[in-house]
Amino acid sequence: MDGVIQLQRQLVDYTASLFHEGFLDEQFNQLQQLQDENNPDFVVEVVSLFFEDSERLLNELAKALEQQCVDFKRIDAHVHQLKGSSSSIGAQRVQKACIAFRNYCDEQNTEGCLKCLQQVKHEYSLVKTKLETLFKLQRRVLAAGGSIPKPI
Amino acid sequence: MVSEMAEKAERSYTTSPEGSPTTKAPTAYSLLRKVFDKILGFVTSWRRNTTSRGRRIFHRDVEKDEFQYASTHCLSSYYSVFVVRLAIMVMLAILIGLLTILTWHFTRSYTKKSLDTLAYGLRYELLQRPILRMWNILNSTAEITTAQVKLSEYVIRKYSKPASQAEQVELYQVMRDVTWALFASRKALNAITVTYRNGFVQAFHRDHRSNNTFYIYSNLVNYSINANEPYDVNKLSSHQEWNDQSIHGNLSAIWYREPLDPLTGEKKGKASQIPPDDLINIAGFSQVPDGVASWHVAVSKYTDSPLLSAALPVRDASNESIVAVVGVTTALYSVGQLMRELVEVHRGHIYLTSQEGYLLATSTNAPLLRNSTTGPKLVMAVDSEDKIIQMGAQWLERVYGNKFPPRHIVHVEDAKLGHQQHYIDSFFLNLKRLPIVGVIIIPRRDIMGKVEERAFKTLVILISASVCILVIGCVCILILTNGVSKEMKLRAELISHLDARRRAEASNNYKSQFLANMSHELRTPMAAVIGLLDILISDDCLTNEQYATVTQIRKCSTALLRLLNNILDLSKVESGKLVLEDTEFDLRRELEGLIDMFSVQRINHNVEAVLDLCDDMPKLVRGDSARVVQIFANLISNSIKFTTSGHIILRGWCENSSTFSQTTKFPVDQKKARCAIKTKLRHKGNHMKKASKKENKVILCFEVDDTGCGIDPSKWESVFESFEQADPSTTRLHGGTGLGLCIVRTLVHKMGGEIKVVKKNGPGTLMRLYLLLSKTVDGVEQHCQIDLVSHNVVVLLALYGSMGRAIMSQWLRKIGLPSLGVSEWNELTQVLRELFYRRKHNNGFEAQCSLNEPLKAEVLDIQDVRDPVFVIVVDIGLLDLSTDIWKEQLNFLDKFSGKATFAWMLNHDTPNAIKMELRRKGHVLMVNKPLYKTKMIQILETVIKEQQKNSLNAVRATTKDDDMHEYLEIDSTQFENASSEDSDMAEMGNSNALNAFLHGEKQKERGMVTYQTFKESLVELTDVHLEENNLSREDVCKMKPNLPDTTEETATLMNNKQAPFSTVSESESSKHWDQHSESSCPKGKANSYSSKAVTEQKALEGLRILLAEDTPVLQRVATIMLEKMGAKVMAVGDGLQAVDALNCLLSAKEDKRESLVQDGNKGSQTEIQDSLPFDLILMDCQMPKMDGYEATKAIRQSEAGTGLHIPIVALTAHAMSSDETKCLEVGMDAYLTKPIDYKLMVSTILSLTKQAT
Repeated sequence: MDGVIQLQRQLVDYTASLFHEGFLDEQFNQLQQLQDENNPDFVVEVVSLFFEDSERLLNELAKALEQQCVDFKRIDAHVHQLKGSSSSIGAQRVQKACIAFRNYCDEQNTEGCLKCLQQVKHEYSLVKTKLETLFKLQRRVLAAGGSIPKPI
Repeated sequence: MVSEMAEKAERSYTTSPEGSPTTKAPTAYSLLRKVFDKILGFVTSWRRNTTSRGRRIFHRDVEKDEFQYASTHCLSSYYSVFVVRLAIMVMLAILIGLLTILTWHFTRSYTKKSLDTLAYGLRYELLQRPILRMWNILNSTAEITTAQVKLSEYVIRKYSKPASQAEQVELYQVMRDVTWALFASRKALNAITVTYRNGFVQAFHRDHRSNNTFYIYSNLVNYSINANEPYDVNKLSSHQEWNDQSIHGNLSAIWYREPLDPLTGEKKGKASQIPPDDLINIAGFSQVPDGVASWHVAVSKYTDSPLLSAALPVRDASNESIVAVVGVTTALYSVGQLMRELVEVHRGHIYLTSQEGYLLATSTNAPLLRNSTTGPKLVMAVDSEDKIIQMGAQWLERVYGNKFPPRHIVHVEDAKLGHQQHYIDSFFLNLKRLPIVGVIIIPRRDIMGKVEERAFKTLVILISASVCILVIGCVCILILTNGVSKEMKLRAELISHLDARRRAEASNNYKSQFLANMSHELRTPMAAVIGLLDILISDDCLTNEQYATVTQIRKCSTALLRLLNNILDLSKVESGKLVLEDTEFDLRRELEGLIDMFSVQRINHNVEAVLDLCDDMPKLVRGDSARVVQIFANLISNSIKFTTSGHIILRGWCENSSTFSQTTKFPVDQKKARCAIKTKLRHKGNHMKKASKKENKVILCFEVDDTGCGIDPSKWESVFESFEQADPSTTRLHGGTGLGLCIVRTLVHKMGGEIKVVKKNGPGTLMRLYLLLSKTVDGVEQHCQIDLVSHNVVVLLALYGSMGRAIMSQWLRKIGLPSLGVSEWNELTQVLRELFYRRKHNNGFEAQCSLNEPLKAEVLDIQDVRDPVFVIVVDIGLLDLSTDIWKEQLNFLDKFSGKATFAWMLNHDTPNAIKMELRRKGHVLMVNKPLYKTKMIQILETVIKEQQKNSLNAVRATTKDDDMHEYLEIDSTQFENASSEDSDMAEMGNSNALNAFLHGEKQKERGMVTYQTFKESLVELTDVHLEENNLSREDVCKMKPNLPDTTEETATLMNNKQAPFSTVSESESSKHWDQHSESSCPKGKANSYSSKAVTEQKALEGLRILLAEDTPVLQRVATIMLEKMGAKVMAVGDGLQAVDALNCLLSAKEDKRESLVQDGNKGSQTEIQDSLPFDLILMDCQMPKMDGYEATKAIRQSEAGTGLHIPIVALTAHAMSSDETKCLEVGMDAYLTKPIDYKLMVSTILSLTKQAT
């Protein structure tokens, strides 16, 4: 039982650190609150949806930015989507990067866009690793027979 | 510039006439070009200088690059203008020059030609006449000569072979007679001579000078006929010899002269002998050597003119030998006279010369003969004494020499003789043996003088005129092009201004963009802070102090968020994008809340904040509550900033009702002010009032009166300007941006009002403003309970602030309650003693003595009241809190607790210990300062209720007290909501059942703070009330009997409560609402279904929601959220699908409905409810294929005419109000920002679906 408690504490600490470092925000909590016995894997489902969607969008963005004449409208739409989805799972830092990205888009600044794309990618991969670690921890807690502590 | 152009014009002018001849054109052109180039170069350099200067001025505040383009543009335009100007001028110059020359040329040449012809004719005529005369003379001479010859022949034939001397004499006599006849017939003849062969000479001579006629003959004696006769015959063969002999022989003869009567030819005097020298020109045989007539010019000493003499021989009958020679001499005098006559008319000179050059006749009086040793001789023309003739002859000789043109015809027009030009024409008259040359000299001036003068004048005038025209033209062009260049300059400036404006607009756009981002970025962390605080508040394990602190923090956060929103709104105001809301709100409550809030700030100062609102103010008005509050918040905070002691009064009254009945109670200055405002309003237009009547608007006047440092009258206008502060030192002392009043004015104007600083008696500032707000339909609500008076309530106001006390007591007196005011402890004790002891014992005279007179009178008044209910409002400040004396004081007051109810006015920072003590002593009525009417009413009502309940049900009273207890304590921290809730609470107090229910609720939800509980219950009540209205949920009736009639009112109050303050507080309260609707809804269901198993979460049970969202993550999240709350969700990926889904389902429904209609018997109610496939649509704004706006438009279009209206809620990541406006414009009903706030979403959905059903 101690191990479970330790694991639980670790999970809580890790989650807290994620919030603290600004990777996640309140929205993620809401997400977790939505998870119940009817949708036991809701968070994982949504987050993996987010991963898929984001990867697709990032690819599209990379492709669009490689073009000779960059279609900023499309990029803007993509980034907007990415921003929307990241904000709805609470991936705060991705969302912020997206905001910067959109500003560059408005300015039609290809350089800035490329830079931002890199940043978004970076943030995305970071949050992805973090979330995957989080889920791994959660799974371990569950495997150890504990329950995932509900967010406040 | 002008001078330079003029110079250029001058030059071009001077060059252009030169240039007109074709030979000179190229050089002139190049010259012209050079001149242009030079000028151009000069001008451009000059221009560059000026433009660069202009640029410097320009560049003072704007970027350099920006205008580089514009200035180069300007420069090129200058060049082009200049070149065009130049070209036009040159063209003008050429044109005018050509015109001038052509005009001049044509007029001159034609006149000249015609004049020349005329002059030529004239001269010809002139010359012809003397020549004709000459000719005539010659002819007549010839005729006379011939006639003489013929007569002589006849006579001689008759007397041929004279036999005797007598016969001879007779012959001579006959000859003399015949000759006389001829001579007399011709007056012009000078002489006729007959020379016979024998040497006898007969001659008639007429001296024109002396007008004498003479007969001249030689001596007849020396000759014998005999001697002669053989001679004649013999010497026939050799004429020459004969002739010479005879002449020489005759020299020895004696000549006689006889004067004759010129008419009759009779001898007048004696014949006198004359020497042969005096002989007139006698034609001798030598002159007719070949027997034909001969001519020659002769001279005579008797005449001063040359003579023309002709000679003809007389032959004998056999026509073989010459017997005599006849000579006729004619003076050329008459020719000269004719010439003179002619010349008299036409000036000039005429002369005739022989071919050799001897003058024969002139038109002058110059002598034609010259005396020489050998007698008079003819003068050559070149030697003539007349200058002109001499020069003319010399000129002719010089020019032509001996080689005269054939026939001597010369026409020269411009021979310069002396100083003048002359015409010289000569004609040749070819007479046999005597060719004559006629020359006419006429000064040119005589004929052409006037013409030439005219021509010259014309030329001068033409030239000067053209110069003038050229100059004027150039000036005109200059002015014109100057205008053009100015215009171009202006245009360039305009372009640059437009550019600058475009940039400014762009930057403004960036600003709003930035704000759009900012609003999102700022709200999010603040929302997080508030959310976390909410979580913290809901935590159980907080101590009271911690709880208070957290609540404080939460309050501050809310304020901060409000501030942030305000900042964003300000930028909106600045950019003019502000759109005023039009919602119903309780103005009074807003202002109370505001005063409460500021009383906290003010607590540090020694300042009293007083709210003085007239009772006639409408309780509910329509308008933008947030802006109204903002106006007053700005004004009051401004006042607080500058007021260190004294009071701040917010007065408010309604303008168009019977306000003026009350004015008597106001201070004089205020009354005046009102009058002023009234007149001003009257000024401002009766139309406004009319409009306000028509549109159900009210004019609300407010005054913010403080006792601060005041504003200098000169700054009264300018304080409302942006960044303007009355005193520069204020920034240092108080900070601030100087924007507050500007915003206030903008807002006030926007609401159709006006604000200004008004003169005030005494120190401080008096700001007066009026607002135009629309009344709600229900109009003024009489919230003041009437029964206060009937309960004989007597109020003793023991308040520190004199202003607030005065106003309050005034009001109390107005509504008919007797009141007393005291300002300090001692006074209070005295009054209490007076009131109670005296009443009891009727002998407290001593105490009474210490009271001052007016108070005493009042006390006496009060004593008249029968069976009074005493309410004593005590300022906590009256107690001496610094020491422990306050406990004593409380104990003293305790003595009266049975007879009177104490209501304590607490300060914000009143220590808890005192509160505890008060509570312990049973003083449960505690309210925060400041005291205003609503609080007063609440206090009074509580007291009355308590009185009633005390007599009815003690148990309930305690419960209520408990409630009150809790509530009032919390009030001390929840000032923000307190004002709103006070009255609610008061009303709440009516309901025992409700209280019980609340109690139970509280027990159940222990974690919830009390005030929240209250709220919850209220919300629940509201909800219930809503349900009550909702006929479809009939089961609520079970609960209904328990509710008092005031529930409805409560509900409306609750609604109102949610309207005020900024969006956050709104959302916050609505959050509570959500919670409670969540919690209450199931309860309603629990009642209806009698099943408690349903979880609280199912707020949206049974709702069908269409979710249009393209982002899968969001879609999923939203779906789960909604489903968790029990809604059925259909998710689509874009707007198109949403529209399709709706249409398809709609049509399906339609079919179904038709079938239902066919069925006929089915109830219509369910049908109507089912007629909408979805209860609500959540629509993302930005989606592929068809965005939310488009989709909404499409849906609304399809709905048109069907009478259906599906609520559509926008989901957008943009948080600006403009997006909201856009959403609402396209027909959406509400607006949610991403990330989706769970509670807000539920509340929105619920409000919309409720509305729909």
